[in-house]
Amino acid sequence: MSRVGVFVCHCGENIGGTVDCAAVAAAAARLPGVVEAVDYKYMCSDPGQNLLKEAVKAKRLDGVVVAACSPRMHEPTFRRATEEAGLNPYQCEMANLREHCSWVHLKADSTTAKAVDLVRLQVEKVKRNKPLHPIRVPVTRRALVLGGGIAGIQAALDIANAGHEVILVEKSPSIGGHMSQLSETFPTLDCSQCILTPRMVEVARHPKVTLYTWSELERLEGFVGNFKATIRKKARKIDESICNGCGVCQQKCPVKKIPDEFNEGLSFRKAIYVPFPQAVPNKPVVDVANCTYYKTGKCKACEKYCDQKAIRLDQQDELVVHEVGAVVLATGFRTMPLERFPEYGYGVFPDVIDGLKFERLASASGPTGGAMKRPSDGRTPQTVVFIACAGSRDAQKGVPYCSKICCMYTAKHAMLYRHKVHGGRAVVFYMDVRAAGKSYDEFVRRAVEEDGVEYVRGRVSRVYQEDGKLVVKGADTLLGGEPVEIRADMVVLATAVQAHADAEPLAQKLHVSYDPYRFFAEAHPKLRPVETNTAGIFLAGACQAPRDIPESVAQASGAAVKVCGLFSQPELCREPVIAVVDRQPPPVFSHCTGCFLCQSACPYQAIEQEEIRSRKGELLKTVARVNPGLCQGCGTCVATCRTKAIDLQGYTNEQVFAEVMSL
Amino acid sequence: MSATAPAAGPAAASRFEPRIVAFVCNWCTYAGADLTGTSRIRYQPNVRVIRLPCTGRIDFMLVMTALANGADGVIVSGCHPNDCHYTSGNFHARRRWMVFRDLLDFAGVDVRRVVFSWVSAAEGAKWAELVDKVTDEVRALGPYREIHDLSGTGVG
Amino acid sequence: MSVRESDLRATAARLLETGSVAVVIGYGAGTLGRRRPVFVRAPAQAGELVFDDECHQNLATYLLKPEIRRLGRPAVVAIPSVLRSLVQLATERQLKDGDVLALVVGDDGVRELADLAAVRQHLAGLPGSLHPAAKTEIARLSAMTAAERRAFWSDELSRCIKCYACRAACPMCYCERCTTECNRPQWIPVASHGLGTLEYHLMRAMHLAGRCVECATCSRACPAGIPVHLLAVFAEESVRRQFGAEAGAAGPAYALSSFRPEDQEGFIR
Repeated sequence: MSRVGVFVCHCGENIGGTVDCAAVAAAAARLPGVVEAVDYKYMCSDPGQNLLKEAVKAKRLDGVVVAACSPRMHEPTFRRATEEAGLNPYQCEMANLREHCSWVHLKADSTTAKAVDLVRLQVEKVKRNKPLHPIRVPVTRRALVLGGGIAGIQAALDIANAGHEVILVEKSPSIGGHMSQLSETFPTLDCSQCILTPRMVEVARHPKVTLYTWSELERLEGFVGNFKATIRKKARKIDESICNGCGVCQQKCPVKKIPDEFNEGLSFRKAIYVPFPQAVPNKPVVDVANCTYYKTGKCKACEKYCDQKAIRLDQQDELVVHEVGAVVLATGFRTMPLERFPEYGYGVFPDVIDGLKFERLASASGPTGGAMKRPSDGRTPQTVVFIACAGSRDAQKGVPYCSKICCMYTAKHAMLYRHKVHGGRAVVFYMDVRAAGKSYDEFVRRAVEEDGVEYVRGRVSRVYQEDGKLVVKGADTLLGGEPVEIRADMVVLATAVQAHADAEPLAQKLHVSYDPYRFFAEAHPKLRPVETNTAGIFLAGACQAPRDIPESVAQASGAAVKVCGLFSQPELCREPVIAVVDRQPPPVFSHCTGCFLCQSACPYQAIEQEEIRSRKGELLKTVARVNPGLCQGCGTCVATCRTKAIDLQGYTNEQVFAEVMSL
Repeated sequence: MSATAPAAGPAAASRFEPRIVAFVCNWCTYAGADLTGTSRIRYQPNVRVIRLPCTGRIDFMLVMTALANGADGVIVSGCHPNDCHYTSGNFHARRRWMVFRDLLDFAGVDVRRVVFSWVSAAEGAKWAELVDKVTDEVRALGPYREIHDLSGTGVG
Repeated sequence: MSVRESDLRATAARLLETGSVAVVIGYGAGTLGRRRPVFVRAPAQAGELVFDDECHQNLATYLLKPEIRRLGRPAVVAIPSVLRSLVQLATERQLKDGDVLALVVGDDGVRELADLAAVRQHLAGLPGSLHPAAKTEIARLSAMTAAERRAFWSDELSRCIKCYACRAACPMCYCERCTTECNRPQWIPVASHGLGTLEYHLMRAMHLAGRCVECATCSRACPAGIPVHLLAVFAEESVRRQFGAEAGAAGPAYALSSFRPEDQEGFIR
């Protein structure tokens, strides 16, 4: 038989002034299972808590109901007191007589009657409470960072500097990401490579960081604190430990006409290549699809000329497995392809380019050495039109969101052009100018006031070729929509920022949610921007939403600290309010029918399959099992289960049913 | 917003006071109801709140049990769509209720007595308004005994 | 004996002889001109099988029974409701692809459908509704006022004795421990009196929403002649109408454990 103690708090006059606390205690004393019922002025005070503790010990209570303020206020207080008295803290419940009763009703019999009902509700619940213990999950203190752009590099450095091992995986032959392609960055016009390459070198040299480039995540198994990551090291076709980066293989390679990805197709590279001179690691990679040896079996010039004998043309991909405790997703973005813009030339006019191509033209290490030479004939364009919002903020033909960085880089591009071509004319067609960051608006003003960039507020309807010029037809809405026609030599589109084409399969591999635009979803848009709903997987940078460099770096550090928080204890201690699938003695084993309709309801992928086998190894039944490391205790599975095989500790079916029946 | 306790006198003694059971989620509606209290906004005392972690946890059978056990009205309330603390519990709850309410209506149960709502942690005033409105509506409908007719018990 | 029947018997005999299946579940002659299920285990017994327009019962119910599973691979005479059940049961992981051989009896002979792909393909060619009469009746009830519906169900359910034949007949009611058998908590009064009757039927209908194959075998099994299938079919229709999902179709396994943020309703305040 239960031995429940009820403690009715007056809370000074807050409750006592409206509810007859003595009467509530008297009514509680008459409830079956209640062996102690008292009222007291201030239960949360030290004497109040002592009263509770004494009663637990003296009356051998196995359940406690504190009828006072809201549990959201003091449940931890009274649970701690209960625990100190030697009773499991989850056998203490609170009845809300203040926020839900005395503060919202007038002093009357009905108010006291309601208070009695609320107490009875909790008494019936607590009689069915079971002792619960925090769940301990071990943690592997090693982090996996996917993506070697600025966000991934920052996160890796922060975690490594905090003393933990980091595995950094990058898909392309070098780390650096899009930032390495930029010429200068806003709002300072710092040389991008100059500020990035020191970081790249630091992360590659860091004793706690293991760098895998030309590699991808093959598979991720496990759960928070206990992941197993399988990484595919794609074959570079060289032995990295011997290669000294001399570059002779690249000089001797006869295959010359492969469009260079790093230079956005504005120049060519060889079949064996290093993406850019400051690449980290500075070791080449063989492009198997375009290499003569793999196509015809002939050539092998690289092998012949390599002093170090580092070429390994028959090298295979290698799968490497690492155990990690947390993952940081920093896989970045891509820009909307020019082929999406039929009205601007379908990517067919070579002089209609996008922002990244412009960066390569402007870059001192780019295909033109930083001189403004247009792609078609190498002449210096005298009139350049910049079209902002190409594809962004356009629900019909593009994406409805704002890509955030384009207003700033368009201003930057226009300024760089004007710096390089003093007599040139730069015209920007814009809808709004979004320059909200620190020193951002001043930067845009500088473009207009000091560098003479012309800003026309209107959209461009068409770009077409005529007499060697690109005719840009737009409108000036500040002049009432007057048509504007500019005969330009080059047009730069600020194309929309999008998620990578393979973002969706990666998200599915990691069981991370994503939005309709394939950007990875944060756990809460305001309060949890660097976490995902998948415990142990964090976000950094533009893979979550369009983002500039300062924000990417900030977010990466945020993600890093979350990882370090996870690693700060040898074990994760979690609240035991989790779901549990029942287990029964044979031959039933579990009431679960194995239909797994609960699995799709769970927002945290916390439901796993468990095979129940006979001693001979015969499969008897496959039933559900809740992973205690992942379950957050929402109970959606419990309401979905038809057979009631799954229940939520702390809010079991029995408890809640008893509450309803007590009314 | 009427917030008075039933007046004394013979008229009040015979006035039917509905019993309303409310199933609410901890993170939004329960917190919103707390805010109602902190703001000292008064409402009628007919509701009894049962706290659950999420609306996703609310089994339709609990609603039926409440009605069968003498509740005259039921309120089910949680976080607004997209705000669920557990991301999607309220989306699942919404689907469940869309079917359940349809089914109740088809079976002849008076669906005016089961009210669903989204009340966020910031909507203290909305909670009070909701409780008052539902209390008034259910009082006008009278005690709910028909569910027993449907059960064929003949218990009035 | 019709051509269809002789084909079926021959097929059954052959399957059993070759050991391809361990049992053929089909229809046999019952009392009062009705059909009852038969479980043919030997080729010689194949003569018990009949097939005509009186064969309505959804035989898929038997496929999950331990006594049948123990026998080995079954073949089942598959009218459309059985085929739909096979797909739905496989989606709920109660059957594995290839576990069951479906025998579709037609005027052109017996088609053997050995896997789910074949079953799905066959189903795609069949008319949508299994039960036009149920749809008409539901429409009729829906057009009434709530009070009229209450009177209708009050009258119908007053005859319910909670024998649970409807549950036993339903292939989707395969839970080894039904909610009615759970006593901690005792969700509804389950004894054979009126208390809890409405809750039981509403619960069953809700558990079938998004899963019901609309075979109406439950109503056929009811000894009191209560049209209990109307509640489950209504719930199924409600799911289809509001979420576009359908039992036995491809798509999310269960409409009530998935969602779309754009789900629309007009009653949440």
